[in-house]
Amino acid sequence: MLPKLVRAVWRYLREVSGENDYARYCRGIRQQGTRPMTPQQFYVSELQRKYSRISRCC
Amino acid sequence: MQWAKKLVWAAVAILGALALGMIAAARGEPLNAVWLVAAAACIYALGYRFYSRWIAYRVLELNDRRATPAERLDDGRDFVPTNKWVVFGHHFAAIAGPGPLVGPILAAQFGYLPGTLWIVLGGVLGGCVQDFVTLFCSMRRNGKSLGQMAKDEISPLGGWTALFAVLAIMIILIAVVGLVVVNALKSSPWGLFTIAATIPIALLLGIYLRYLRPSRVMEASLAGFALVMAAVIGGKYVAESAWLARYFTYGGVALAWMIILYGFAASVLPVWLLLAPRDYLSTFIKLGTILALALGILAAHPPMLLPPLTRFTDGTGPIFAGKVFPFCFITIACGAVSGFHALIASGTTPKLISKESQARMIGYGGMMMESFVGVMAMVAATVLQPGVYFAMNSPAGIVGAMPAQAAATISGWGFPVTARDMSELASRVGEITLFNRTGGAPSLAVGMAHIFGGTLGMRGLEAIWYHFAIMFEALFILTVLDAGTRVGRFMLQDLLGHFSRPLGRTGWYPGVVATSAVVCAAWGYFLLQGVADPLGGINSLWPLFGIANQLLAAIALCVATTILIKMGKQRYAWVTLAPLGWLVAVTMTASWQKIASADPRLGFLAHARLLSGQLAAGAVPASGVAATQRLVFNDRLDTAVTAVFAAFVVVILVESARHWWLYSFGRSQPVLNEAPMELSRLPG
Repeated sequence: MLPKLVRAVWRYLREVSGENDYARYCRGIRQQGTRPMTPQQFYVSELQRKYSRISRCC
Repeated sequence: MQWAKKLVWAAVAILGALALGMIAAARGEPLNAVWLVAAAACIYALGYRFYSRWIAYRVLELNDRRATPAERLDDGRDFVPTNKWVVFGHHFAAIAGPGPLVGPILAAQFGYLPGTLWIVLGGVLGGCVQDFVTLFCSMRRNGKSLGQMAKDEISPLGGWTALFAVLAIMIILIAVVGLVVVNALKSSPWGLFTIAATIPIALLLGIYLRYLRPSRVMEASLAGFALVMAAVIGGKYVAESAWLARYFTYGGVALAWMIILYGFAASVLPVWLLLAPRDYLSTFIKLGTILALALGILAAHPPMLLPPLTRFTDGTGPIFAGKVFPFCFITIACGAVSGFHALIASGTTPKLISKESQARMIGYGGMMMESFVGVMAMVAATVLQPGVYFAMNSPAGIVGAMPAQAAATISGWGFPVTARDMSELASRVGEITLFNRTGGAPSLAVGMAHIFGGTLGMRGLEAIWYHFAIMFEALFILTVLDAGTRVGRFMLQDLLGHFSRPLGRTGWYPGVVATSAVVCAAWGYFLLQGVADPLGGINSLWPLFGIANQLLAAIALCVATTILIKMGKQRYAWVTLAPLGWLVAVTMTASWQKIASADPRLGFLAHARLLSGQLAAGAVPASGVAATQRLVFNDRLDTAVTAVFAAFVVVILVESARHWWLYSFGRSQPVLNEAPMELSRLPG
């Protein structure tokens, strides 16, 4: 029961923290038939997008 | 089954009524904090189950058969249909800032009752509604921002007002949270060492995440957390070493400059190097600590030592001047109603929701959680001895700079405390002094240390808990500060780009440096003003922040009301009009009193007149003339800023009311700018 819960929480945190975003992006890009960015390029470009708008509140 | 559900909800209502009855019946003897938490939890549960459901299906008519922008415009990046719990996590992490922790601590000067009632009822009837309806409006408009919606649904003037309001609130917000950090780290080598250590830790994580293991946020954050905890523990040895402590002991002005430089650096450095890793670290620590605090309160179930109402409801409070109305409702903005949330609810969140009905849980439920954080902060304040609470939060300009003098003044108010008590407490938590530690963060840290120590039975580790709490607060306040500076820079570049194309380019380094410097100079000025203020700074800056935040809430509620009327839902417009009316009354009263009150502690102009009179009479020594002249200028500047905020409220309200009148009496045909209806193909 407990290991299952821990695994579920870990999966959830990975999803929330964006660890799966690159895989999702690659799936989308493959469908479009264009060449994907490298993991490094994708990471930096995601951060630039995220922190150019209001992402944290008071 | 139906009966079982009804019985459960009846039990929740009875428990809530019982808890409220216990709070109302408490006379003199300390009440257990669990009653406060139980009353709040029951009201939230009832509000969510009944009020939010009614809004969702009767007022907004959420429709899961209608495709959301995440489904229609799915591009794998901005618009992505996402699991509702993941969106909830994103949304809550974005809206949960330092406001609901600091505001209630400050408002506790009126006693715990006014603040708690405002947090819970303001949340359920105002803040949650604002977040939910704004999220709905944005979701139906392809994720448009609040400013765009104000422009499209009200008028271009409304849109411009929203744009300037956002910039203004950003500047005041950063200054005031910066002041909270300065006051928490002043003369505290342990605290400063811990926070300073988070910078190289963040740089390390940044390099790790950029070059070694891109996107492996969880493992990097866990390693970062271990390093931060080592810094918290290591800080003790720094504070105990006379040689090392020297390098980490600074006064307010020096710390303010360090924070300004930090904000500038975070804005001009690549985002992956400092800002992002710090944000990851602070988000996980923030969420973990909030959860731990909730469990700690339930496990320790401490008695609340602060009375439900204090004598300071009459406006003579030492922490900030002003009566319980309107200042309790200005001091607690985040936690009850926060206009800033409307920017998040009309930002990323509406682009991720896969089914319309999820907006209820994410918008209304997310704000409810934030409101609950406010209740926990209030509990943390009330577990302190009232004398200790006032000794920590009262500025030297009010109670005196000498410990014996301050203790005598506070005891004279009916809250006994001695210099020895304070000295012992300071030594237990590893600080030099706890007198005049205004800003709320140190008293929250002492309260949290008390709760954590009581829960885990490790009273001997109070100093570690205290500094952990200070680190937790300062870490995510600095995240708000650096992320806010960067966004402020982008907004300024966007604005300046209309006049000079290079300045508008976010990749042109001289432009980046210049606009970052302008943004830092703007909030840095207010921060330095707060640090130099003999009344502690919080007295003038926090109400300005509250007014600015409620102004943004008024804009969001005006947009929401306009959209409801355009949808033909006039009979339900009171859902947003009622909180709007309350906020306008609160904001305008507070603005008027801050400008025109004859009490120099409350009214900016009265204070300026008092100081000018002293200067004219030659009552100020020559060495203090320049500083006094600066204080006079600051008072006049604060008057102008408050007047501009109040003018924004009037503009947006008049513009909106004009449209409501035209639509309601058929003088103008409303145009609802919703995206066209498309059937959803996503499974329910």
